[in-house]
Amino acid sequence: MLEINGLNVGHDGNAILEVPHLSVFTGEHCLILGASGSGKTTLLSTLSGLLAPIAGELLIDGCNVHKLRGVAMDEFRGRHIGIIYQTLHMVGALTVLDNLLLAQYAAGLPQDREKAIALLEHLGVAEKKDHKPETLSQGQLQRVAIARAVINGPRIIVGDEPTSALDDRSCETVMELLLQLAASANASLVIATHDQRIKRHFHRQITLEGGQ
Amino acid sequence: MNSLSLSYAYLRHKILSTALTAATFAVGVAMIVVLLLVNAQLQNEFSNNLKGIDLVVGGKGSPMQLILSSVFHLDTPTGNISLDEAEKLSRHSLVKETIPIALGDNYQGYRIVGTTQAYPEHYNARLKAGGRYWQKKMETVLGAEVAAKSGLNPGDSFAGSHGLTTGGELHSGLPYTVVGILEQTGTAIDRLALTGRESIWHIHEQHDHDHDAEGAGHKNGAQGHHDDGHADAQGHGREITSLLITYSSPLAAVELPRQINSTTSMQAASPAFEVARLNTFMGTGTETIKYFAWFLIALAGFGIFTGLYNAMNERRYDLALMRSFGARPGKLFKLMMTESLAVAIVGLVAGVVTGHLFVESFAAWLASSKHIHITGRLFLIEEMWLVPVSLAVGALAALLPAIRVYRIDIFKTLVRR
Repeated sequence: MLEINGLNVGHDGNAILEVPHLSVFTGEHCLILGASGSGKTTLLSTLSGLLAPIAGELLIDGCNVHKLRGVAMDEFRGRHIGIIYQTLHMVGALTVLDNLLLAQYAAGLPQDREKAIALLEHLGVAEKKDHKPETLSQGQLQRVAIARAVINGPRIIVGDEPTSALDDRSCETVMELLLQLAASANASLVIATHDQRIKRHFHRQITLEGGQ
Repeated sequence: MNSLSLSYAYLRHKILSTALTAATFAVGVAMIVVLLLVNAQLQNEFSNNLKGIDLVVGGKGSPMQLILSSVFHLDTPTGNISLDEAEKLSRHSLVKETIPIALGDNYQGYRIVGTTQAYPEHYNARLKAGGRYWQKKMETVLGAEVAAKSGLNPGDSFAGSHGLTTGGELHSGLPYTVVGILEQTGTAIDRLALTGRESIWHIHEQHDHDHDAEGAGHKNGAQGHHDDGHADAQGHGREITSLLITYSSPLAAVELPRQINSTTSMQAASPAFEVARLNTFMGTGTETIKYFAWFLIALAGFGIFTGLYNAMNERRYDLALMRSFGARPGKLFKLMMTESLAVAIVGLVAGVVTGHLFVESFAAWLASSKHIHITGRLFLIEEMWLVPVSLAVGALAALLPAIRVYRIDIFKTLVRR
């Protein structure tokens, strides 16, 4: 589970947002809504362990994440947090399949080719596994990014606007797949978005004030 | 997937810049290889020629010229010495062995040398099967290169021409007969036709006779002419070009040159000393080229460095991404090192191969036009130094970009842009 106490997020010493308390239990999902500039991405980065909070604590399965330093932090993040970046960040030099294996390799986990292919199949992009990312459509890339985020069996899957670039049909499919994968891995989804279409999938919603 | 396959994927992805970096590196390595090979082999040919020759005695003039003309057969001779005086010197107690050299004619640019059998024997030259040394005048034994280039075989005959370079007057009335051919020796002998001193004297006695009408003015004339061994009917007053001397005692090095230079009209020159002097002149050039080649390698290393650094910059997203997936900085460091070293190794191998191929293709031209024998099919111990040096350059080039990976801010790189 994910627990936040008195979390104050921001970067370069400037506090942007305060979240006094939030807990998301295992298997529960949470949607973070807010206009652009409201600090969604900053909060999400803090939850992903990419950005240290200015104050407060973040617990994932009881582990105070930001007390971890350097390599320990990288390792924890690699194994317990699956991140879907807003700008996807595919590695252009590698094939789709290798992009998945890269996540396992980087985390120092055994590389499970079968599992990667099964995931791609499940997400409907298996036929693209030997292609370079540049040849895939935005919707296909989004699915590959999801596959990559879940391949290491994370406890938390963090997604920054995972659906906003997709049309209604793709948006619906991607959301269903995400929920399905999270359920089968018993992981929590934390999604930040301004995309109103996906609101109905989430019971827990927090709306950030501020921004524009 | 491992650092090797990942490096390979990245290098392949930007194949053009990879190839360019490797090529720059290869050029530096190839230059070093060429220098090492050419230098080592020229030195080797030098020392082969010098083997056991302690002193050269010839006419007064430049000692360097005397050595070049009599030991290496490159320059024109300084002037003649009298046979009597030379023979007196052979009986000197400090002298172990003497080899007379009498120049004067050439065949297709190859010098015809009047000498004794001691000359080829000194250089351990062996006759090819079916040949023998000269027994009468106008019999000749050919060096390996002369035989190969002229296509002459034992039993064939040819006419020498006057002087030491092609274009002189042909002695067609007095042809030489080939009686033997020598195996390759790696010394100047390969490019000589050897004969008895009598042949040279014989030809030029005839020659002088023919030209009596023109007067005897050519005795001190230009190249080639001064070697004519003039003699009266009894053989007195005969001359040779020079005498190669081997000492019988180390003491001779102190005594003999001084004695000859101060008490006779001849000049004594030490090959070792003159070659050392020559090396100090030429050495500056080879040193310069060597430093330049190392500079090129350093430049190539810098090329790898900039190439990697730029690649790193383009790739900071990928590297930050790998960090965000939990990759330890050490893993990324290994990746960068692998890439850089792979380029260095490819450059090294390509450079060594190119260097040897270059020398080998250059060798044919050098052999035919400059009479210098080198080969690319030779590997020197010194070349082994290129391996650690190349790897060090490769590692150094990766170091700074790799250190930057440690400092990468994942949030700033991936999220906030």
